[in-house]
Amino acid sequence: MPRFLHTADWQMGRTYSRFEPDDAAALAEARFTAIERLAQLARDERCDAVLVAGDVFDTQTVPDRTIRRVFNAMSGYQGPWVLLPGNHDAALAESVWTRALRLDAVADNVHLALVPGVIELPDQGMAVLAAPLTQRHTYEDLTAAFADWMTRPDLLRVGLAHGSVQGILPDTVDATNPIAADRAERARLDYLALGDWHGSKRINARTWYSGTPEPERFRNNEAGYALIVDLAGPGAEPEVSQHPVGQYPWYQLQKTLRVSSDVDQLLEELAAIPAPAVLDIRLQGDIDLHGETRLQYGLSVAEARHRSVQCDRTGLSLQPTDDDVAALQADGYLGEVITLLRERQQQGDDPQARDALAILTGLLRDRQVGAPPESAEEASS
Amino acid sequence: MKLQRVRIEQVRQFRQPLELPQLTAGLNLFYGPNESGKSTLVQAIRSAFFERHRSNGAEHLRPWGDSAAAPSIEIHFTSQRQDWQLHKSFLATKRCDLQVAGQAFSGEEAEDKLADLLGFQYASRGASQDRHWGIPGLLWVEQGSGQDIEAAAQHAGDHLQAALHSMLGEVASSGGDDLIQTVAAQRSNLLTPTGKPRGEYATLATRKAELSAGLATLEQRIGQYQAQVDRLGELRQQHQRDEHQQPWLAARQQYEEAQRRHRQVEQWQQEQQQEQQALNNHTQTLGLLREQQSQARSQVDKLEQRHQEYIRAQESLASLSAQSPQIEARLQHAQSAYSRALEKVALARQQQQHGQLADSVSQLERQIAGLSDRLAKAREHQETLEQTRQVQRQDAIDPDTLANLRQCQRQLDEASIRSNAIATRLRYHLEGNQTFTLEDTLLRGTGETLLLEETRLVIPGVGELQITPGGEDLGRLQRQLARLTDERNRQLHALAVASLAEGEQKAERQAERLRTIKTREQLLTSVAPEGIDALRAHQQTEYIRLEQLRARLAALPVASATALPLDQAETQQAEREQQLADAEQQHQRHQQSLAMATQRTQAAQQEWQQLQRELEDPKRQQLQHTLAQNIRSAEEDSSRLQAAIDLRQTRIDEARPDLLQQDMVRFKTSAEQLERAHQSRALELARLQSALETLGGEGLEELRDQQTANLERVERRYQELRRRAEALDLLLGLLQDKRQELTRRLQAPLQKHLHHYLRMLFPQASIEVDDRLIPGQMTRSGRQGQETGEVRALSFGAREQMGLISRLAYADLLQEAGRPTLIILDDTLVHSDVTRLAKMKRILFDASQRHQILLFTCHPDQWQDLGVQPRDLEAIKSQALSEVAVQSPHSTRSPTTMP
Repeated sequence: MPRFLHTADWQMGRTYSRFEPDDAAALAEARFTAIERLAQLARDERCDAVLVAGDVFDTQTVPDRTIRRVFNAMSGYQGPWVLLPGNHDAALAESVWTRALRLDAVADNVHLALVPGVIELPDQGMAVLAAPLTQRHTYEDLTAAFADWMTRPDLLRVGLAHGSVQGILPDTVDATNPIAADRAERARLDYLALGDWHGSKRINARTWYSGTPEPERFRNNEAGYALIVDLAGPGAEPEVSQHPVGQYPWYQLQKTLRVSSDVDQLLEELAAIPAPAVLDIRLQGDIDLHGETRLQYGLSVAEARHRSVQCDRTGLSLQPTDDDVAALQADGYLGEVITLLRERQQQGDDPQARDALAILTGLLRDRQVGAPPESAEEASS
Repeated sequence: MKLQRVRIEQVRQFRQPLELPQLTAGLNLFYGPNESGKSTLVQAIRSAFFERHRSNGAEHLRPWGDSAAAPSIEIHFTSQRQDWQLHKSFLATKRCDLQVAGQAFSGEEAEDKLADLLGFQYASRGASQDRHWGIPGLLWVEQGSGQDIEAAAQHAGDHLQAALHSMLGEVASSGGDDLIQTVAAQRSNLLTPTGKPRGEYATLATRKAELSAGLATLEQRIGQYQAQVDRLGELRQQHQRDEHQQPWLAARQQYEEAQRRHRQVEQWQQEQQQEQQALNNHTQTLGLLREQQSQARSQVDKLEQRHQEYIRAQESLASLSAQSPQIEARLQHAQSAYSRALEKVALARQQQQHGQLADSVSQLERQIAGLSDRLAKAREHQETLEQTRQVQRQDAIDPDTLANLRQCQRQLDEASIRSNAIATRLRYHLEGNQTFTLEDTLLRGTGETLLLEETRLVIPGVGELQITPGGEDLGRLQRQLARLTDERNRQLHALAVASLAEGEQKAERQAERLRTIKTREQLLTSVAPEGIDALRAHQQTEYIRLEQLRARLAALPVASATALPLDQAETQQAEREQQLADAEQQHQRHQQSLAMATQRTQAAQQEWQQLQRELEDPKRQQLQHTLAQNIRSAEEDSSRLQAAIDLRQTRIDEARPDLLQQDMVRFKTSAEQLERAHQSRALELARLQSALETLGGEGLEELRDQQTANLERVERRYQELRRRAEALDLLLGLLQDKRQELTRRLQAPLQKHLHHYLRMLFPQASIEVDDRLIPGQMTRSGRQGQETGEVRALSFGAREQMGLISRLAYADLLQEAGRPTLIILDDTLVHSDVTRLAKMKRILFDASQRHQILLFTCHPDQWQDLGVQPRDLEAIKSQALSEVAVQSPHSTRSPTTMP
């Protein structure tokens, strides 16, 4: 009885604008590794086939090299692959697929589901009903035709589609590429392999989103998995298991700092995140000079552990305590300026005052530790 | 700070030690003339403090020409409630010792302590300059620089500030100014002084714009790419649909249908044309038939007409025939008249010939007579001519010889005459018959003779006289005469004459003869120009002609008397001939008319009869009947054809051949267009396909994503820098504001002290102090009320006064801050008038209540009312010398401790 691997949303060729170039390159590279890992997994788990439910490529105009590398990365698994065009790589008149075919990059064991229809895999005992996107967006349910497609009775019916399941996923009102939630039942499918939702998600017993194998968003859903589906026989409920594939989990932390212990808590949370990961930290509230120093320390530790750590502190104001100011030995008019800036910060959102205060306290601290202001400036710039 | 004692040695003109002892707390006034060493003293005090003992900058202290000198200065003073003893020597002996409160310092340590106390700096190398002097530079005024407060105050700035900060400790900030500098430096990395981005910040803005533009281009290209992909899909669909449906076939069918219908219409049109032709033929035939019919009808009328014509011809023939006899008669008559005229002419011609011949005979007779006459005359002339010629031949004389004779005779005569003239003239008158003989000649009566040669005169009775004429030419003349005579005689002989006269006569006769010959020759020529023989022959010929004429005349018949003259006869004959010709012509015409009339009559008769026969022919009757029938039948055919044509035309019109033609064009073009569109779509497909293949490989979207990433990074960095720039700007502004505020607070005490002195000079006046603690604007009551102006703009004297006031105010300020103050004035206020000077003295005196003031002057009289004892420098010098005499001259090394 067939056992196959269900994956989707590889988004090959994706670039990461928000990261530093070396991080972005590593994350892009991780997506190729993910394919190799999928192939490895399929081989290890003795899968009969691999179904990719759309968005193999992030854009139509990826460089030729990317196309070749994608198909090369699949070479670890010699069984049949069925690749479905999704909204990012729709089977248009000229598409990444036609280019791949022109490049002669597609191996014989790879089936491209470029036209709606049935791909029979008799050796594997299954018929794949593919609903590729042939336009970038469509407002009709392309899987509606599944019910009319007859398949050999000895083959299990496996649907392969890309889109939003109606009424289940958040923000799917008026969504493009809709898919009826009960499609598997209505089209007598043994399993419906879906793509588009980047987290691994069960819609019903026979309908699953596999999610992307390598996370690329901070939405904390179940990304970074592949599904292995066992079909015991016609009509039997599929057995679906999640397998981690991703290298870098993406975490987003949003914290409001009010008191000193908040910083402690944040630092503990940071330390608890398994490395390597991609972190996005957004901080709000106030922080005193001491807390700031600790935060800085904790962040620098995390930066060394993880692939990328980004910390947005625009919502966080530096609020030196009176002790801080005293410790800075800001006498005379310097003290007056610090007081003024603190007041301005407290009166309302004043990023300039906040930054100015940070610079001033920084300079004063540098002066205390004895570093000449010039070298401190060089270090900071 | 109070100086108590100053001692100098080996300093310029003070080679010997000089000491200023017992300096008081307040004013100390020293006076002396120029070059008495006031300035040297002041210099020495300054050098003691400002110059490092090791410095070469003390060279100016060296006494003139003393290379081994060791200028030394010893100063005792109190400051901060402590006694200080400074001993410093330069050049040859470089040393510095300072003792304070029981502690001893030496060398640079001692010097640094002094600098710290007084607030100045040392020059790092070379002589100390005004920028190093700090507070002493402000308070110790060198000769002639009292008015220049600005530079001095600036050099003292830091020390002043420091002094003030210590005064206002709670508001000042330690290191605040450094911090401001740091912030300003950091800000200037990002912003220009006017707040415009610079450096990386500015570059980023440009880069951002570039990236945005690049991104927009990429977006556009991607948009184009996607649009082309869509177009490709659409085209491919259309192409496949067309390939399947082949819509041009339908159009082509429509075209063929239209063509078919159009051909039918064309056929109709052709038929129509043919029938129209037939109808035309019918109409033509009908016309002909109708013409035939009307012709037949007109022949009946013609018959009568012809009959009438026949009758008329007959009538005219009869009339002509009647004229014939008359015309015949006239002709005969004319003919006979003409014959008669001819006869008359012949007769007349004969008559005339006879007359003419007779005339010729008589004329010829006359000619012959003339000829005979001429012949006779010619013979006569011939004869005379021959006679004369005969004479001439015999009696001819040569005219040339005659001319020579004539010449010779004349010469002879002339010679004779000359000989007579020179000859001895012998005139004689003889009485009675007396005679004498001259030579052989007997002379008598009266006479004269010429004697040319020796002549013998014999007078009868008397004797003989021998006369010899004189003169020298006589002999030559005699010889000439003889020669000429010979010549003449020879010529006379040649001419065969006796004398010249005879010769002349003979010549005259000869001329007469020659004339006669000429005349006769001319006459002969006129009578017989061709000679006498020719004349005779002519005469003979005429004779023969005459005989012939006479013969002819005799042969002619004798003319009748009735004969008319020829011309009359000829005229008559011509008239008759004309009349005859007229008659003949008339006759001929008549004959012709008659013949024609006859023929016409016959023709008319024939035509009439023929027509009559024809009309009466039964076949013709039959033909007429058939003709009528044919006309009816043709008319019927025509109307039938017309109906058919009308019907067909309606059909043709209804079919709208023009529209059918348009349809054909339309359908044909449509088909072609559809097919062409299909083909061009295939081309576009191929083109688009290849364009997209190229574009696809460029990785446009990935490039776009990378660009976006770049842009975002640049944007992030830009925002960071912007925030930093804004923060730095804010911070710098705040710091500077606070700093300025502080300065203003520092300025207040200075201003207070300034006003204290200023109002002693100008009541109600006020002065402002700028950031650098330098007096700026002054306001005072002048002649035109309140006037405000910069201190800098005042007159030299007033600036000097203000300079002193400012220094005193600084001194007050410094004193308040617990700093040492000492005021040294070298020849100050020399440019002040009496009034001002008086006021300034009050000011100085006031200041001396708080500060020690050393005042050096060369005008002691001006400063008499200062309330202090002026001390004469010269006196001090002499005193010092006397002391030196007591002490060892080189004992200056031993420090003197002040109690």
